[in-house]
Amino acid sequence: MAQAAQNKTRGRKLLGASALLSVLAGLYFGLIEAPPDAYQGNAQRIMYLHIPSILTAYLSFFIVFIGSCLFLWKREKRDDILASSAAEIGVLFTALTILEGSIWGKPTWGVWWTWDARLTLTAILLLIFIGYLMLRSLIEDETRAAVCSAVLGIIGFLDIPLIHMSVYWWRTLHQPPSILRPDKMPWENIHPSMLIALAVNFAAFILLYFYLLSLRFHVGEMEEEAKTRKLYRGSL
Amino acid sequence: MELLRQTVWLLRKDLLLELRRRESVVAMFFFGTLLLFVFHFAFEIPPDRAAAMAPGLLWLAFIFTGTLGLTQLFQAERENHCLEALLLGPMDRAALYLAKVSFNLFLMLLVEVIIFPLFWILFNLAFWELLPSLFLVALLGTMGFCVLGTLFSAVTLKARARELLLPLILFPLMIPVILATVRGMEILLRTGQFEEAVPWLRLLVGFDVIFLTAGFLIFEWVIEA
Amino acid sequence: MSGWGFVFLAYGIVWLALLLYLFFLKRRARRVEKELAALRSSAVKKN
Repeated sequence: MAQAAQNKTRGRKLLGASALLSVLAGLYFGLIEAPPDAYQGNAQRIMYLHIPSILTAYLSFFIVFIGSCLFLWKREKRDDILASSAAEIGVLFTALTILEGSIWGKPTWGVWWTWDARLTLTAILLLIFIGYLMLRSLIEDETRAAVCSAVLGIIGFLDIPLIHMSVYWWRTLHQPPSILRPDKMPWENIHPSMLIALAVNFAAFILLYFYLLSLRFHVGEMEEEAKTRKLYRGSL
Repeated sequence: MELLRQTVWLLRKDLLLELRRRESVVAMFFFGTLLLFVFHFAFEIPPDRAAAMAPGLLWLAFIFTGTLGLTQLFQAERENHCLEALLLGPMDRAALYLAKVSFNLFLMLLVEVIIFPLFWILFNLAFWELLPSLFLVALLGTMGFCVLGTLFSAVTLKARARELLLPLILFPLMIPVILATVRGMEILLRTGQFEEAVPWLRLLVGFDVIFLTAGFLIFEWVIEA
Repeated sequence: MSGWGFVFLAYGIVWLALLLYLFFLKRRARRVEKELAALRSSAVKKN
């Protein structure tokens, strides 16, 4: 029993170490090795953060969905802990995605915010995450909180494709006459060292994400055990 | 069909209660009308822009009015432990869901039927002949609102700050419905025909079907938590 | 060169936020670990 816990801790430390290494590598490749973009200049380097961030945000939501489904099916506390951990870290990465997109937008499009499809969708995702966390905190009974947030986790995930469709149609079929910035990525003629920088940063974000998730999950499990022990202090 | 019988029975109970006390429908109607008034003061709506802005303003009014109805939706069951009593029996939980969805839909449609023409009069709009088609689009949207709204009304039933939490959770999820309904109505007003609006209407129908099914399956777990 | 300011702003905010989160998470972990160890040992003592 203690051996398993030790192995998990060791695994986490390994994950953390590899995350750190790849983050440093990502910084090197992104800021030093990769050349500035022909059109966007150095501001394009923010994309090495932004694209992996979007991925981890959506990955997080997927994990919330999986945890929610498992919890409603099997009612095991650890699935609920997984879902809430993924939601907490998901909020962080989603908020960062929006910040990065906004900061990239200023030199590229001239404005801090546009209602382009990508930013809008990420903002909606953030709102759903926040709703999830608020729901959890505002329901006092723990089991009910777990069930109710699982429902939101599932419905929210099912809604995302529909939200995607409607926002993209809205943005492409209904062009407002005012600010219409071309929402295009300079994928054509991408320099190989840019690709490397992107790939390394991808790896870095994924590793970092899973490290944070495993740590948060571990904390959640410990808090749950502590709660149970305190509850049954007399009888255990 | 047992499920249908139970649904109708529950719906009848709610309709009877509403008929006698008229709490929700009157409040919703006056709130919706009040919103129209406020919109008139809040937005400068020149006559040539009125038709373009109408769908959005109307739908906003319906959404806020509908949220009012949603927070009231399980009120009868909350008092005197009626919900626990209902759940003690072998009644299909999904019947309660369907009955509540239908009831809220009924209330909202009743309010919309009056507010639509009222809006047209207050803002001096033409195109009276388009009203039935516009109402059809609104019906699909209202359906989506009720389907998800009822589920989350139950989800937030025992939460603190319920009146704030329900819209906070519901509105982001409703964005496809808001977009589709408003765009659909706007296209109708602009062209007078359904063709261009069809993709939006299909999205609405898809939304309604998906979440009616999801709500139908999931409601049981929510109400018993 | 154009844009370095924005790059440092973005990178700075992101890594600062992530580091802060990690810091607070680790602090929370330490606190719970201590509490849990105390609870476990008191349970052992009883038995």
